[in-house]
Amino acid sequence: MSDPSELTLKDLAAAIRRRKVSSVEATRALLARTKKWQRKLNAFARLEPEAALKAARAADRALANGKVRGPLHGVPLAHKDMYYVQGKLAECGSKIRKGWIAPATATALTRLEAAGALRLGALNMVEFAFGPTGHNPHTGHVRNPWNPAHITGGSSSGSGSAVAARLVPAALGSDTGGSIRMPAHFCGVTGLKPTNGRVSRANAMPLSFTLDTVGPLARTAEDCALIMEAITGPDPLDPTTDGAPIWDAEATKRSPRGMTIGIPKSFYVDDLEADVDAALDGAIATFRKLGVRIVQVDLPDQTLVSAAALVVIAVEAATTHAPWLRKRAKDYSPQVRNRLANGLAYSAVEYLEALRWRGPALAAHLAAIGTCDAILAPAVRTVAPTIADTDVGGGPVADKVILGITRFMRPVNYLGLPSLVMPAGMSRLGLPIGLQLIGRPFRDETLIALGEAFQATTDHHVRAPTLS
Amino acid sequence: MPATISKKRVTAIADAARVPLKPDAAARIARAIAGPVNRIAAANIALDMEVEPATFVAIQRKDAAQ
Repeated sequence: MSDPSELTLKDLAAAIRRRKVSSVEATRALLARTKKWQRKLNAFARLEPEAALKAARAADRALANGKVRGPLHGVPLAHKDMYYVQGKLAECGSKIRKGWIAPATATALTRLEAAGALRLGALNMVEFAFGPTGHNPHTGHVRNPWNPAHITGGSSSGSGSAVAARLVPAALGSDTGGSIRMPAHFCGVTGLKPTNGRVSRANAMPLSFTLDTVGPLARTAEDCALIMEAITGPDPLDPTTDGAPIWDAEATKRSPRGMTIGIPKSFYVDDLEADVDAALDGAIATFRKLGVRIVQVDLPDQTLVSAAALVVIAVEAATTHAPWLRKRAKDYSPQVRNRLANGLAYSAVEYLEALRWRGPALAAHLAAIGTCDAILAPAVRTVAPTIADTDVGGGPVADKVILGITRFMRPVNYLGLPSLVMPAGMSRLGLPIGLQLIGRPFRDETLIALGEAFQATTDHHVRAPTLS
Repeated sequence: MPATISKKRVTAIADAARVPLKPDAAARIARAIAGPVNRIAAANIALDMEVEPATFVAIQRKDAAQ
């Protein structure tokens, strides 16, 4: 049997189900790998080896009795330290919530458990999920397995690093302004930011109640689909999921032949690093070979969409944190405190106009893309910068750095669209490049279908960092 | 359209939220939010009065139903 850490989520789940490898063996292998690399990568906030092995033994016993709990039976995972588990720590990468015990369990985790998955522990993240680089002065910076001197991206920094380093086959992240997609791009893994309303946010730490989404990072689009199938669907604890379509597994298997992908004429293709530009050209050629029709699209002004996103995120994050900003401002890191404080200075009318414009902005976007099934665009215009170059604290350079990294992220969050980032190349420096497929509302499955077809004919997603 | 955001405005809104700012914070925040505020103001977006935040959900679901 292969090393369980080398298997994708789908293959590991199948191997456990067929008893080619036990859940205990898989759990031990991943715990051993994590123990070996944690000091270098700092991907985990906490490991819970005893609880994980106990759950793994129960999974093996159930299987021996012919009982399969679900499609993820006995598979060890780990998730960003913002998904609550009743009675357990959820510190959210912060000093303020250090020692905080969650009163209830996140719906997403309850559903993964119902599908049979178990947890190895919790993954590090940016303080309160409010930062795009992966820096965290409270818990230490998470390191990029491709080169530990470079950032992982954030805020799901531990999720990106752990999946890339094969410490877990998949992990939940969250995406309010790019926090799944940036780590996917910088760490060379596949990540899906779902349509807003597709996955319950109940008992997950909030940042921006309008824009927060819950989604997976994994090695393949197919693995992301396995997680999505488990966690999507209406939840009375999160009314935004009410009436949203249930996951359509068949739609993820559609052939891309005859689909249409739009390539933006501007914004997403401006000022790209040469390696990113080349990766985009390569992906366009691949999709053409797959029978996808490629068209150019003129999107509405994305700088305006982006500005509206900034207003919404800033005001809602400041509102969520206002009680602590009043009493415990010193307990935030300078960068997060300053970013939160920015949200205090917009007027109520500016915020509500940004919220009211969201519908018309989505209508304009849908009109511009016509019948396109997806838009193909870079995730970030550069590969991962170094930790040192982006260690800007709360100074005046911070906003510039953050705006540069998140430039291609924010419009998707504001418009509530699904977006799949998948590996599409390597830079000359040996750092991964991700591209994003941006879909139509609630057509997350179409992105999976396109991603699976792309990954069936390319090997970018198979490449693994050499840890030493 | 405000070309610059005044420190006075920043301080007033933060005061209304009952969040104390450090002495040098107002000027930094004013610079940080000037971009989005001015970009949106320049677009002079005029929405029908019937548009509300939930209009977004209606448009999202309408496209999904097609």
